[in-house]
Amino acid sequence: MAHAHTVSAAPRKGFWAVLKDWLTTVDHKKIAILYLLGGTIFFAVGGIEALLIRYQLMFPEFDAIPAQTFNELITMHGTTMIFFVAMPLVFAFMNAVLPLQIGARDVAFPFVNALGFWLFFLGGLLLNISWLFQSVPDAGWTAYVPLSGPDYGSFGVNFYVMGLQISGIGSLIGAINFIVTVVTMRAPGMTFMRMPLFVWTSFITSALILFAFPAITVGLVLLMFDRLFGANFFDVTQGGNVVLWQHLFWIFGHPEVYILILPAFGIISEVVSTFSSKRLFGYSSMVFATVLIGFLGFMVWAHHMFTTGMGGIANALFAVATMLIAIPTGIKVFNWIFTLWGGKIRFTAANLFAAGFIPTFVMGGVTGVMLAVAPANFQFHDSYFVVAHFHYVIVGGIVMALFAGCFYWWPKMFGRLLDEKLGKWTFWTFYPGFHLTFFIQHFLGLQGMPRRVFTYLDGQGWNTGNLVSTIGSFLMAVGVIIFLVNVFKTAAKPAGAPQDPWDGRTLEWTIPSPVPEYNFKQLPVVRGLDAWWVEKSEGRKEMTPAEPLGPIHMPSPTILPLLMSIALFIAAFGFMYANQPFDNGFIRFLFEKYVIAIAGLVMFFGCMIARSLKDDPGYHIHPEELEGEGVHQ
Amino acid sequence: MTNEQGGHAATDVVRRKHVHEGPRNHLISYAISLVLTAFAFFAVIYADQLETWFIVSFLIVLAFFQALVQALFWMHMKDKGHVQQRIFLTGGVIVTFTCVVMALLWCWW
Amino acid sequence: MSDVHAHAHGAHAHDGPLPPYPERATLDGRNKILGFWMFLAGETVLFGSLFATFLALKDSVMSGPSGQELFSLPLVALATFILLTSSLTSVFAVQAMHRHDKKGILVWLGVTVLLGLGFLILEIYEFVHYVHLGHGFTTSAFSSAFYTLVGFHGAHVVFGIVWISLIIGQVASKGLTVVTAPKVYVTSLYWHFVDLVWVFIFTVVYLMGKLG
Repeated sequence: MAHAHTVSAAPRKGFWAVLKDWLTTVDHKKIAILYLLGGTIFFAVGGIEALLIRYQLMFPEFDAIPAQTFNELITMHGTTMIFFVAMPLVFAFMNAVLPLQIGARDVAFPFVNALGFWLFFLGGLLLNISWLFQSVPDAGWTAYVPLSGPDYGSFGVNFYVMGLQISGIGSLIGAINFIVTVVTMRAPGMTFMRMPLFVWTSFITSALILFAFPAITVGLVLLMFDRLFGANFFDVTQGGNVVLWQHLFWIFGHPEVYILILPAFGIISEVVSTFSSKRLFGYSSMVFATVLIGFLGFMVWAHHMFTTGMGGIANALFAVATMLIAIPTGIKVFNWIFTLWGGKIRFTAANLFAAGFIPTFVMGGVTGVMLAVAPANFQFHDSYFVVAHFHYVIVGGIVMALFAGCFYWWPKMFGRLLDEKLGKWTFWTFYPGFHLTFFIQHFLGLQGMPRRVFTYLDGQGWNTGNLVSTIGSFLMAVGVIIFLVNVFKTAAKPAGAPQDPWDGRTLEWTIPSPVPEYNFKQLPVVRGLDAWWVEKSEGRKEMTPAEPLGPIHMPSPTILPLLMSIALFIAAFGFMYANQPFDNGFIRFLFEKYVIAIAGLVMFFGCMIARSLKDDPGYHIHPEELEGEGVHQ
Repeated sequence: MTNEQGGHAATDVVRRKHVHEGPRNHLISYAISLVLTAFAFFAVIYADQLETWFIVSFLIVLAFFQALVQALFWMHMKDKGHVQQRIFLTGGVIVTFTCVVMALLWCWW
Repeated sequence: MSDVHAHAHGAHAHDGPLPPYPERATLDGRNKILGFWMFLAGETVLFGSLFATFLALKDSVMSGPSGQELFSLPLVALATFILLTSSLTSVFAVQAMHRHDKKGILVWLGVTVLLGLGFLILEIYEFVHYVHLGHGFTTSAFSSAFYTLVGFHGAHVVFGIVWISLIIGQVASKGLTVVTAPKVYVTSLYWHFVDLVWVFIFTVVYLMGKLG
């Protein structure tokens, strides 16, 4: 049965109690911090990989890093950054902010939410542990067959295949959680067209994840079957088809980049309107544009495959569809500009990043339109022009928005404001560093430098460009270090951030910083778009509650999500090493007979069954335990 | 009201008084499914008397209709409070359709 | 009454009489149902990709037997009939739930499981038979695609059988409550989906395969 639970003024907990709290949490706010931490750790790994890549390319015919290692570096850099940095950081903000912005106490499926995190983390661990095994994926983040297949592929690709399947499941269930949360758990009065734009973009992003991830999962399963079980999906000699992999990969891969950028668009919309003290311009068109981008995102995947020989008609169709996406994107850009125009603009660190985002993303977008011209693509394909394009949209777009989100929502998540001065230093080192690194790469590509090459010959006119690019990357690293210094310095400060430090417009700024366990003491009534601003404009100091004070039901913490993820991690190893020639007879037996693999699966399904059989009554927080302020009877 | 799922159970019962909540609709769906399946099998059994393009199109249409009947009736997709379900399942079908087009048109090597 | 009110979230099973549509009576129940529909939308794309793979590779028979040679229409017709009927019986289970008829739920879910097992046995027999005819998983691209698509469906049937059995156990021991009701409804939805996918499998794989 449910029991009362003391929330406030808890005595200082020991290390193990704190660890247990974090390992078993189903609280979306804590899960957000876990995603932030996980994403940041992998960002450091991916960032070091990037610096090593740029270091090797600093000089022609440089021999700092051998070719095989270089291939591993570019593969891991891309895979880690997309799947284990950008996605989790996006999920971090979705977890931290979305329930608050819709006036909800929790997400729809707290258990599933936690499971999503741990699957992501163990998947990322599995991918990166390949470094320790010295068997690293080296077929590019796109893992095209037959290079990644059983005939030509290295053992390391197995880590890629397994790691991404595990984290992919995590992303999928996380998305389902957010879709249902948005549909069913909005506060009274919050219709769909009164939701903040970050909620809309998160919602559409979740739909994209729902539809895109099954395709890559199938692709990875097929590749796994080819590599481990002798299947023939991609073996041309047995009637397989290598282009099929590309199709499956990019049917996922293109929506994936919209999965990354749409939440970034949402963050920018929030930041820009808050720091202009002005309503977001053209809200309805923003919503419409988001939906359109999401839909069109599924219709353009083969623009990654113009040179495979699909034929003129297919190329033309995909070229036109790709260009079409520029239209709703352009609508968004103009709306941000019109929001800023005539507003009382404050250039806090968050808004600096947002303002830096807008022209940079436009630059990335227009090179995208250039790439969409199918005949021209034959020149750009596999050159540094492509590398420049996608770094402009991913780093200049998503990473900038993530920095903006950090500075904007840090007080809400941690109860402390990041140092503004250090924030500005971060911007003014990272942003110029970024342009220095990647702007020149457009020209390197146009001058013929191919991508994914571990070195280049002297005398081709590429030396200066590469040197400049590498120097830029060091500057970006400085920016990141300054940001990390900021984070640690802020952590040392006492928590005391105000509830609404930015004079915000949305519901998350109506509750204390950091947010209490139950989010809202009383769920608020929403009377319009920018719900908090509506109340503030009428002189109110707080939201009108939609319900009387009463006991609040909370879900119980559980270790099962962590156990389930570990189980799949173990099973993955069991399958990967099944045919390895171990010296030790017992170990060889364990793997050859799939004992380890089956043990992992049994543990996984066992946890699922345990979860099904034992219903969670949760626990209640009672009104007497809630802080005294603002209680309405 | 935050959510529109299912509405109020009590008023639902009142409003649905004139609609059969018995097995009738479901048994009809079962019968339709059997008939559609039978047609599909017979079309293939008598393939030598029909043109291939006709049979293939016929089979696809039959399959879609059967899927529709099962989704609408047995999975309650036609019922009130299933707006999101329809939207998302349609989305899934659209993406599936794209995959099928891909496989049929652009995988010819 | 406002569903926003806290204690609806973790409903206590024994408060008062059971409401008319018990699976929808709590926010938690409604969330589970909607969430499962979302999962089914994702599964649609999953099977869609597998179908696409099969369609791309179905002519790559290489040295193995073709679908036309392998497939036996009477067997497929029987399997189809069994699975379709099991889908109907799962509907009956949900209707029993709406009548608050616990015994009816258990009986109809039990029949569903038995029919599902029947389907599975037929399919296992079919696969073993094909392997003897030289159509193995590694024979060709067609065979890999065939076993992956039809096998994934079969795996879903296995999962469903285990799952429904667990739900039968839960309803038997905990009774029909606002907590167990959504579980019954969701397993029924899953089972319908599994049958729905089969409609396309027998059409695209077996019938069109038989046409050659």
